[in-house]
Amino acid sequence: MLNVYLFQVLNGLGLGMIYFLISVGLTLIFGLLNFVNFAHGAFFLLGSYLCYTLVTLTGNFWLALVAGPLVIAMLAWALERSLIQRIYHLPHTFQILVTLGIALIIQELSIMIWGPVGKSVPTPELLQGVVRFGNFAYPIYRLFLIAFSAGVAILLWLLLERTRFGALVRAGSESTEMVSLLGSNIFRLFSITFALGVGLAGLAGVLSAPLRGAHPFIGPEVLGLAFVVVVIGGMGSFSGALVAGLLVGVVQSLMTTLWPQGASLMIYAAMAVVILLRPYGLFGRA
Amino acid sequence: MSVRTHTATFAITLLAGSLLATPLMAQDKPAIDFYGVKSVSGAFASYGKYAEMGSQLAVEEMQETLDREINYTTLDTEGNAGRAIRKVQEAINQEDARLFNGATLSSTALAIGKEVDKAGGVFMTPAGADELTGSECNAATFRWSVPTYGAIRETLVPLIEKLPDAKRWYTITPEYVFGEALLQNAEKVFEEYGLEHVGNSYHSLQEQEFSGYLTNAMSTSPDVLVLLNFGAQSSNALRQARNFGLNEQMDIVMVWSAGLDQLQELGADNVEGIYFGAQYWHEVDTPMNRHLVEKVKEAYDITPNYPLAADYIMTRTMLEAVDASGASEGPELIAALEGRTYQGPTGEETIRAADHQVIKDYYLLQGKGQAEMDDADDFADIISSGHSFVEEDKSVCQL
Repeated sequence: MLNVYLFQVLNGLGLGMIYFLISVGLTLIFGLLNFVNFAHGAFFLLGSYLCYTLVTLTGNFWLALVAGPLVIAMLAWALERSLIQRIYHLPHTFQILVTLGIALIIQELSIMIWGPVGKSVPTPELLQGVVRFGNFAYPIYRLFLIAFSAGVAILLWLLLERTRFGALVRAGSESTEMVSLLGSNIFRLFSITFALGVGLAGLAGVLSAPLRGAHPFIGPEVLGLAFVVVVIGGMGSFSGALVAGLLVGVVQSLMTTLWPQGASLMIYAAMAVVILLRPYGLFGRA
Repeated sequence: MSVRTHTATFAITLLAGSLLATPLMAQDKPAIDFYGVKSVSGAFASYGKYAEMGSQLAVEEMQETLDREINYTTLDTEGNAGRAIRKVQEAINQEDARLFNGATLSSTALAIGKEVDKAGGVFMTPAGADELTGSECNAATFRWSVPTYGAIRETLVPLIEKLPDAKRWYTITPEYVFGEALLQNAEKVFEEYGLEHVGNSYHSLQEQEFSGYLTNAMSTSPDVLVLLNFGAQSSNALRQARNFGLNEQMDIVMVWSAGLDQLQELGADNVEGIYFGAQYWHEVDTPMNRHLVEKVKEAYDITPNYPLAADYIMTRTMLEAVDASGASEGPELIAALEGRTYQGPTGEETIRAADHQVIKDYYLLQGKGQAEMDDADDFADIISSGHSFVEEDKSVCQL
């Protein structure tokens, strides 16, 4: 029985890395732009469908992995320049209203283009199969996801902490006027950050497609999960998203053995406990 | 007047008479007002879209056959039980509606059945809840799909016979009345055949990540993994089970599949070698099914799936009963439906008078690989079919 728990912890860590990837874009946008993006799940959905289309047309998952997030980031860039930029200064309720509208448009357009029935995406040939541990097996694709997400986490950290771009963005999130007065184009910086955050949602969608397929109603579920991770980790905290993603993954996985019917519930219970003990999340700032 | 002139005059009179008589005859019989309760938008649109196609097709056909006007109205449930019931109530109160069919969700179907019963109408549904023709049955409600008892028996029993060495069975069940009913029936079958039920994992109705539950299953080393969930949850559970390589360690059966549209969604890579229970399969060789496949191809250029076939045959059966009884509501129409035997897509189907359950076949399918498929929709072979229903005297339905 001990093996089951050990394996559930390992599985939970893998799951946690996927959750990190799902939520990191949301936390970036909130933390740096103070903008609430309720369309995050819809961009994830779009990533899954782009992956499906590109894999169906070309048979090449790797092309989808590169092109899918890029296309979504470009779309986000255009959207930010034309619409989102105009509502940065408005209260969060307006931002929620606008992004919820965008989410519904993406969802309905997806149904019109790809139909109401979901689609499956095959696991890339190179990553098919499992690694066996006694009675247990772990998919190679999930191992790849863990490694890939860890790579993304390191690259993002380097980008935000070790580059001029990162320094400007961090400074911009503290004082927009100051960065502007120092001669930097703050709005271009915001556009890039928004495109990066949304592109990450698209990347998560592409990577999740072989696991979950593409389905027009997946957006709200992903958004809910991303918010749980972001709230636990602390709104806007990069390290918080990583730790909270892992925590949620392990809690969920362990609970499927301890109390299976409550596994989903425990994610929200964990969030409630964190809010009670640390209202700004594990790594959040007041 | 010559014989030729007489003949010509007779022919012209007959032709003119028939041309005049046709609209008159159509006017003789009052129009039938028929309401399709379908989830054409919202989270269950993938089901409602095809169900709507089925009803539309049946109405078009019956309009010609019965030679009378049929006013078909769609009530969009938007995948929401509350809105569905409100729309049905409005139709009853404001438009005097009495004939309804459809409803995807069990909760919606149960509530609509009660409303229609109060109004003295008739409602036919493909929804899954056993209560529809069980503890919460009523005079107005008729159900086409096979309940959980039959679905379990027609899936597991033939599989047990096919896999004599499979002694250890593991189940994954949604914690919900419907899932519980499937599980209880499955446990009875395991007991009856002396099989070991090595474990069960319940999950919530919101769950979409099944790796933890699959890990639980792996830890018990079962011979067969039985998926008792349905819809998107069963698709994700199966995808992830394959991802974890479980199909190489054990046989997998999805008892309550949605049929063709689910197999299309999963794709041949995921369905190969997997067993599926199904209410309908387009390759069933019956006269009505051959007709349906042909007509659906003509009308929509697709292959019929379960929601389309179910709503087609329910609409058709109700309209035939209206025509036969001359009543479009109340006890006369109910009497015309009770005990009615007709040619359905699954063969000869009978509406049991005792509980208003349609007695029809349920299928056990086995998924094929891409190379074995004869056409784009040939995802599976039927390996067994038959019907099992709780006997009338053991039914809890009190009509």
